[in-house]
Amino acid sequence: MKELTVTVRRFDPDVDKEPRYVTYQVKVNNGARVLNVLHAIHDSIDPTLSYRWSCASGQCGSCAVRVNGEPVLACMEEATDNMKVEPLNLDVKKDLVTDLVPRLEQIASLVPKTEIVMPKKADIEAMKPLKDCIECLSCVSVCPAVDVTKFIGPTAMRQEMRLALDPRDSGDRISDAVRDGLFTCTTCQACWKVCPKEIQTPAKAIEKLRAHANRRGFTLPRHKEVAAMVQETGRSIPRTSESFLEKVPDVIEPDGPVKATVGLFIGCVYNLRQQQSALDAMEVLKRNGIRVIIPKEQVCCGSPLIRTGQLAYIDELKRRNIETFTSRKIDTVLTMCAGCGSTLKHDYETPFTVIDINELLTKYGIEPPAILPIKATYHDPCHLMRGQGVKVEPRQLIRQVVDLVEMPAICCGSGGGVRSGNPDEAAALGKRRGDEISKTGAEIVITSCPFCEFHIAGHTDRPVKNIMTVLLEGYREKDRKTAK
Amino acid sequence: MRADEVVGCHVLVIGSGGAGVRAAIEASQYGETVLISKTIVGKGGCTTMAEGGYNAVLRDVDTCGGHFEDTMKGGAFLNDPQLADILTREAPMRMGDLVKWGAVFDFTDTDEVAQRPFGGQRFPRTCYAGDRTGHEMMMTLVDRLSYVMEHAKNVTVLNEYTVIDLLKEGDVVIGALALDEKGNIVVMKADSTVLATGGGTRVYDISTNSSSGTGDGYAMGYRAGAELIDMEMVQFHPTGAIIPYDARGRLVTEAVRGEGGVLKNANGERFMKAYDPARMELSTRDVVARAIATEILKGRGTKNGGVYLDVTHLSREHIETRLPVMLEQFLKFGVDIRTTPMEVAPTAHHIMGGLRITPECRTTLHGLFACGEVSGGVHGANRLGGNALAETQVFGKRAGEAAGKAPVRKKAVDERQVDACRKRLDAFLSGSTNPAQVKRQLQLAMWEGAGIFRTSIALEETLHTIRHLQTVNLKAASARNLAECCIVQNMCLTASLICRSALLRTESRGAHVRTDVAKTHEPEHSPFGHTFVSLTRQGIETKEAKA
Repeated sequence: MKELTVTVRRFDPDVDKEPRYVTYQVKVNNGARVLNVLHAIHDSIDPTLSYRWSCASGQCGSCAVRVNGEPVLACMEEATDNMKVEPLNLDVKKDLVTDLVPRLEQIASLVPKTEIVMPKKADIEAMKPLKDCIECLSCVSVCPAVDVTKFIGPTAMRQEMRLALDPRDSGDRISDAVRDGLFTCTTCQACWKVCPKEIQTPAKAIEKLRAHANRRGFTLPRHKEVAAMVQETGRSIPRTSESFLEKVPDVIEPDGPVKATVGLFIGCVYNLRQQQSALDAMEVLKRNGIRVIIPKEQVCCGSPLIRTGQLAYIDELKRRNIETFTSRKIDTVLTMCAGCGSTLKHDYETPFTVIDINELLTKYGIEPPAILPIKATYHDPCHLMRGQGVKVEPRQLIRQVVDLVEMPAICCGSGGGVRSGNPDEAAALGKRRGDEISKTGAEIVITSCPFCEFHIAGHTDRPVKNIMTVLLEGYREKDRKTAK
Repeated sequence: MRADEVVGCHVLVIGSGGAGVRAAIEASQYGETVLISKTIVGKGGCTTMAEGGYNAVLRDVDTCGGHFEDTMKGGAFLNDPQLADILTREAPMRMGDLVKWGAVFDFTDTDEVAQRPFGGQRFPRTCYAGDRTGHEMMMTLVDRLSYVMEHAKNVTVLNEYTVIDLLKEGDVVIGALALDEKGNIVVMKADSTVLATGGGTRVYDISTNSSSGTGDGYAMGYRAGAELIDMEMVQFHPTGAIIPYDARGRLVTEAVRGEGGVLKNANGERFMKAYDPARMELSTRDVVARAIATEILKGRGTKNGGVYLDVTHLSREHIETRLPVMLEQFLKFGVDIRTTPMEVAPTAHHIMGGLRITPECRTTLHGLFACGEVSGGVHGANRLGGNALAETQVFGKRAGEAAGKAPVRKKAVDERQVDACRKRLDAFLSGSTNPAQVKRQLQLAMWEGAGIFRTSIALEETLHTIRHLQTVNLKAASARNLAECCIVQNMCLTASLICRSALLRTESRGAHVRTDVAKTHEPEHSPFGHTFVSLTRQGIETKEAKA
């Protein structure tokens, strides 16, 4: 047995105006799950604690709650000392019990054809990965699009895709999905990162449905324009001034000894819009022993097309980009755009290693910059934190140069084609991001993705800076001090 | 307390597992149907937790007669032959319904529903969806129910309402009394009432059951005057998890053995060769559970008090595709079953006994039907793995159909019964004892005195403990806790029925082992038939004198 201190959010709508947090000391067995802690409170301290559970073995999806902010199944998650247990971010009926039924009712059901059709093994195998869902609604509770639009939510989209794959179904799943917000998903990946069954809804359902929708002519006009531009120019945004690739040499040699040689994949936004951030990054790399090869014939990674279901031209883009680096015998490709990095890592099969700039710099270590007297907050780009699992590295770099205050990791609203296709939604999510930034009291916002950088700048009065720019400012301050 | 809400319908289905939802789908063809669930439909009950599979004869080389014989032999010939015959004949058609409605069962390379071997069966006839078969079924049934609700518009679902008693007009069941989640009484009037409340092995300390396996249907049926048979027949699943402590009893599916898993004691011996050398690990559950319990009692168990269930000789891919839930669950508890043997021990799993039913699922009470685990007779003294999921569909459909076809009746609610219910609830609000304590004492007593090996002395002692627990003044901390008090009383009553029936059966048969009774016959030559208990009588049928 062991004793744990846990805090539980309580709320009885008949009595309480606001939720309240109550701390309990409970005795539980070694290996106890969160559910066992709730049982212990209910059975021996306060029987009025309300929580939902049924199978206690991760199969029914009744008991999802947030533990220290993250959705988990209470029956499977090991309880920890000082944990905070809260309901999912859905309408709360009482304490930890949320109103699941209205959301469950939105999930589509199969409409059988009049004639009897049997699926084939191949159909079964295609549907299976989408069939593990236990409808715990953790995904819905973290979905930014659900919060600000009428989006029906990740698991309902999963079901639409599962039905679209089923030869027994007669429904028009693609039209329904479009009607129910298919294009409002920012592909932030939050849904599948909290999914207890690890169902990859963005890649396996949303993007697949969008590809079907594309073939049916549902693609949003703005997304079509982007596809046309990529096909015509190799880039997803227009050239308005000299590009990054035009400005830089083919190889940038470091100042000191070479620690590593990488090929740079720059991506459209750094190349054509956020060029200064990219140039700042080159300075930082130069100072830290990284030799950078910059092939000029590289093109768009294809992310804006894959995310919006426009796959016709993708194989050509992949071929050209892979050839660009392999022809130079480059074994490590550096990305600094979160979206490009995630695409190269997951949508490509590359014969080379792909590494994000934060990973690279923490791997080889950086020369310490001067510490700037600035309080900064950091925005986790979805495609870096969830897409590539890079969460610690940026913080390790930032803490060497400024004072970091954390804020919740939420999507800024710019991804998945939402900024171009659904600007109102992107603005609503941007505003939420802006509000969280204000709450931190930080003087600047740091991020590591050109989409986030550009989008957030429109929704906060604080300067938004690339992590590389801030490091460079630290080096400049160091140089200034040394020169004195 | 505010004025009671009254809901009327043609068919009231109580319980939302596989049997209940199947019954509601069927009943909706005949009239206004209400499905009432203690949980949220699709999430509660044990169907969704069922892992291994669904037995159905689907191949030309297999026969329903073979399935029937396996079922009767596995059930130690205590099964009601007519019910077993119906089960085996109709299971394939009900499987067909599920596939038609969108179920995603695993398929063979020739595009047929795949089947795996299960214990006590001559043919691999257990259909499956990996090791989440019940979940797949439940998702399909809920999907179909939604479709029916959208298109026929004559099904109403009441989620998180707890039925606390059946409502009677004279000798006829005319619906039920329920509590909503805030503890308000709801009066449900129905021409036909279907009990599909599932099982009750949560009366034991170690059980595979979900939160709803509290025996409410047995208790409510008994209180209303229905007769129950073979309540002593409690299946202990051979393989439940044992560590960590709070995960004890969690089901480790028979599919693990079906896929080739082997049992070994602490000395590394495949001990099943000493108990059933022909069938080994794929013997019937009663035999395997007793073998494991014996190994542990004789000191050949692991230091955690179990035996090993080993699949490490199977390929990683085989484990990952056929047993993904097992892999995931054990990984969550720090054991990689691809490289490390599981540790398992028996766990209370299924009650073979229950309300006596006819082939149309009529109970001994007019107006009351029963299907699924709450009914008795289909499985006899031991259930074959894979027959329960089939039972839910076969008898769920039958109950829904018979209940639906029953005539519309005039029904008058007996106000005295509602008043008595209100008094019972009021007493909980001024009670003194935390129901959680009573539940705990009950579970420990049942595990100790009415487990795998039984004696009349231990059963009497357990019954004595239960009778004491039944007199305790339970306390409801708020109106929302009233249902919990009712449920704990149902658990006590169900436990008492198990003990009483176990005392009535002075033989060892199937899952019921009386170590204080000398063996005088093989099961097929047993002089005994069903045990029976009701408010008015109890006893055991004999071959000469059928009750």
